[in-house]
Amino acid sequence: METINAEIFTLTYGSMVRQLIADYEDVEEVNKQLDKMGYSIGQRLIDEFLAKSKTQRCADFRDAAEKIAKVGFRMFLNVTAAVTGWNAEGTECSLILEDNPLADFVELPEQLAGLKYSNLLCGVIRGALEMVNMEVECTFVRDVLQGDDANEMRLKLLSSSTETYPFKDE
Amino acid sequence: MFQSKYGSTGIVDKPFRPGKQEVALSAFAYLFSELVQYCQSRVSNISELERKLDEVGHGVGLRLLEVLAYRERGQRRETRLLDMLKFVHSTLWRYLFGRQARDLEQSNTAEDEYMISDTGGVPREMGHLNPAAFVAGIVRGTLDGAGFPARVTAHYVPVPGQPRPKTVILMKFQNYQAIMQRDKQQ
Amino acid sequence: MFDVRRIKIEMALLLNILLQDFVQLPLIEFNDKLRLASSWFGMCGISAQLSPMPDSSGIQLLQADTFDLHSFHTLTGTTFMLLAEPQTPDAAELLRTTVYELYCDYVLKNPFHEMDQVIKSELFDQNLVALLQATNRRWGVGVPQQ
Repeated sequence: METINAEIFTLTYGSMVRQLIADYEDVEEVNKQLDKMGYSIGQRLIDEFLAKSKTQRCADFRDAAEKIAKVGFRMFLNVTAAVTGWNAEGTECSLILEDNPLADFVELPEQLAGLKYSNLLCGVIRGALEMVNMEVECTFVRDVLQGDDANEMRLKLLSSSTETYPFKDE
Repeated sequence: MFQSKYGSTGIVDKPFRPGKQEVALSAFAYLFSELVQYCQSRVSNISELERKLDEVGHGVGLRLLEVLAYRERGQRRETRLLDMLKFVHSTLWRYLFGRQARDLEQSNTAEDEYMISDTGGVPREMGHLNPAAFVAGIVRGTLDGAGFPARVTAHYVPVPGQPRPKTVILMKFQNYQAIMQRDKQQ
Repeated sequence: MFDVRRIKIEMALLLNILLQDFVQLPLIEFNDKLRLASSWFGMCGISAQLSPMPDSSGIQLLQADTFDLHSFHTLTGTTFMLLAEPQTPDAAELLRTTVYELYCDYVLKNPFHEMDQVIKSELFDQNLVALLQATNRRWGVGVPQQ
């Protein structure tokens, strides 16, 4: 795939976040807005992921999480994530992101301590999975910018449906 | 001096990345598309939208200057107007678009106006919006950071015989006489 | 249960371009196109249920004596259709790779495209026409002048 210098991407994201902070003046609102924007990106980006990775239908949630971590992050951000922390039912897991291109150059000032700077990523994952009929919840539970030792997103499968049109009456 | 609240794990204590990192152009495209949509939701007309894109670009330009001056120019920053213009036209452009801009010229009508032009316009469905306002913002930020404050605007100019217009970034420098004066003293 | 979100037919815009630019056929009205496309979408769904094997795709190819109708249903619920001469080589592949990628590049990245709405993208149209013309040349099909 065609690439662009990561710094332009990082700086543009940073500048956009600053714009959101200026517009909303409230960290919680900014977190929400970032998630919303990510969601909208995810809804669009999933098709390119499917087209260019020639991915077939994911067998299950476990399969989907692995594909996001190994193929998705590599394809768009040129990094990979590790999938860990599965619960017994196979409906919850964590994505550990070693390098986070969104947050290069960033250090949060104290008054923005509650900012989930990379919350966009959670939205992207949520939006993308929804398009293939998996409803998930995705949140940052550890963030290097918050002083944690790693970036960790927690992924929780809420529901998934494999049925397609025409839907059966319930 | 800058003191990190996280002690030795602060960003200034980490080595500066060599700048070879790349991300997919697509990733940037989605981000920019979302940025335009977001800005659009906050404004009521095209010129406000362009101003918002310009603002976001300005933040990028300010910081890009630092990165580029550090990396490409051995920590040196241009202080003469013409050198600065060449820096924008070649170094900055190559960094942003992978090649230098097509033309750099001084306006015939006003000596404090310079233009950088390049090929490529936008599709019709964009209406009157000029997404190059974002690039204009980057240029404005870069010039600002280097001490050449200017009003920077993006325009589309039809090219005879070509289906697409060219993009012109117009820079009108503030305190042009003072800049000229400063150039002479160096 | 009727889930509107999942019934997305990215228009028979392909149909539109093919009809207008390459073959002389009676023009189909916009609303009729929508109606035809949604009937087709439903038939694809029904066909998947007829399969004796689980998880079958719906109709991918419909053959008539004068044309082939290739249909590609993405995992995200969008359906692309392509009309071609019978036995046209690679048409299915063209649809599921190149056309799909053009859609990703020029429609989904366009900030003014609203999801599930009619595609209005000059660049998509241009690139699609260019692709179809190039493909036709490769197959040795003359392209009528407009």
